[in-house]
Amino acid sequence: MHTAIELTELTKSYGSRRGLDGLSLQVRAGEVFGYLGPNGAGKSTTIRLLLDLIRPTSGSARVLGLDPRADAARLHRRTGYLAGDFVVDGRRRAGECLAFLARLRGGVPAHRITGLAARLDVDLDARIKSLSKGNRQKVGLIQAFMHEPELLILDEPTSGLDPLVQQTFLDMVGEARDNGQTVFMSSHILSEVEAVTDRVAIIREGALVALDTVDALRARSSLRVRVTFAAPVPAGEFAALPGVQHVSADGDTLTCTVDGSPDALVKAAAQYTVTGLHADTQDLEELFQAYYTGPRAA
Amino acid sequence: MTTNGGAMFTKTLYDNRRIFTVWALATGLLALMYAAFYPQVSADAMASVPESMSGFGLDDTSTAAGYLQGPVFGLLVPLLATFYGAATGARTISADEESGYLDLLLAHPIGRARLLLQRFAALAAGALLIGGAVLAAMLAVRDGADLGSVGAGGFAAQTLNLTLLALLFGALATGLGAATGLTRATVFGVTAGLGVAVFALNGFAPQIGAGGLRYLTPFHYYIGGEPLKNGVQVADAAVLAAASAVLIAAGTWRFVRRDLGR
Ligand SMILES: Nc1ncnc2c1ncn2[C@@H]1O[C@H](COP(=O)(O)OP(=O)(O)O)[C@@H](O)[C@H]1O
Ligand SMILES: [Mg+2]
Repeated sequence: MHTAIELTELTKSYGSRRGLDGLSLQVRAGEVFGYLGPNGAGKSTTIRLLLDLIRPTSGSARVLGLDPRADAARLHRRTGYLAGDFVVDGRRRAGECLAFLARLRGGVPAHRITGLAARLDVDLDARIKSLSKGNRQKVGLIQAFMHEPELLILDEPTSGLDPLVQQTFLDMVGEARDNGQTVFMSSHILSEVEAVTDRVAIIREGALVALDTVDALRARSSLRVRVTFAAPVPAGEFAALPGVQHVSADGDTLTCTVDGSPDALVKAAAQYTVTGLHADTQDLEELFQAYYTGPRAA
Repeated sequence: MTTNGGAMFTKTLYDNRRIFTVWALATGLLALMYAAFYPQVSADAMASVPESMSGFGLDDTSTAAGYLQGPVFGLLVPLLATFYGAATGARTISADEESGYLDLLLAHPIGRARLLLQRFAALAAGALLIGGAVLAAMLAVRDGADLGSVGAGGFAAQTLNLTLLALLFGALATGLGAATGLTRATVFGVTAGLGVAVFALNGFAPQIGAGGLRYLTPFHYYIGGEPLKNGVQVADAAVLAAASAVLIAAGTWRFVRRDLGR
């Protein structure tokens, strides 16, 4: 099996509110897939559809080749899930909660639980409600990872974790991949997941706006150029050039962005006297923001 | 293949071990205290009960069964059973759906119907415990309080109906929460409120010339056949049990189809 998750025109409306709007994508078996988008984009909606906690308005999802609804129990046995706001029974001790969740799975070797707890530095004797948000999130990570599921579905797993634990978490994800497990994780911050993801999807307002490797997205990022001339130049002339956007002229300084080759821009500029030239690539976080806020791509 | 068997049932029972014990002990003790008053009450002859309240069965104190059908089995214990059902049933689905814990549980390999049924089974065990405690209390106080005219079979029949009554309101609260996703407080309020309302209807119906309405209330099936005197009323018990089954079936039917709320 080469496809871990396949979404086809997946749509979810909450009454008149849009949750997800005809989303199609495929997650390959064995990859770490980043699912990115701003708050309200539809990340949690997608994830809850995958787990059959909610049902699609139209379209379909296949997860590990199974139907989330018809094969729910079989599928849940093979997946680990961490909710966006992980909640367990607060009155119980962490170890008690995990032991019960393990029983629901038909048993998990105890050393898996204690091993993960030691690694994440979780006190299994502490009552859940006495734990900080970050420590509670760690309990959530333990229950998602403890049975070494084929597929990990993690909704904003890094939220609330301090940087050190974030690194441990990323190591765990890397090990899961080495182990042949598939990881589907959402985030609204690219830099938090960039290091471990093979591919990322960016969604916005319930629709897919980009899907590629982080490297390819970086290659796609445009060049920011600032040219100073000996005298003011007509901005319109530059705006018409291929790949050139966001042109603005301020006195004798012209700034713009360039997608692809800067050849046309350089040749056009060469018709005037150039006194200064500055160019750098947009950093990834900015590119990412552009996907969030720019015009919706087809 | 590994299975989780009755993990949800045993966990629910374990988590509720104290609260169920408190419900059973409190109900049993209150029943015991009120039953123990019988010798005094029968001497005083309670003529003070207003005519309009006669439907509650508080006026007949001439026999032990008559007295017990009044304050004990006619008022106190069934209302406690109703509240037990409403409070516990509101925790079957609603409480965990409200907190978000249900998302986690149902992402595990336990089907929705199975989760609901195992938790309801734990509720039923708690209801049995209440019935058992009340029965034990009655048998303990029987001779000391001049209640010897009611046989052990009569007590057993009435406490069976008590358990079925608790189960019925538990099924109503469970089914309501499962079907709608309403909050725990709402589910409890609606169920307990409805319980008190139909209790009053059962009591007042004869006075307002609508005696037939009694057949619509569970309290009629719970005590109308006077199990203390007549022993097990199979048809009445069956009505209570069947109503629970219908409520659970309807709640489950809807629960497996709807979206879980957050
Ligand atoms: N249960 C719900 N009822 C109504 N609207 C909802 C519900 N859940 C999510 N939404 C709406 O759907 C959209 C997507 O939400 P969500 O999937 O939670 O986004 P994300 O996880 O990306 O932040 C939001 O506009 C949100 O308000
Ligand atoms: Mg979310």
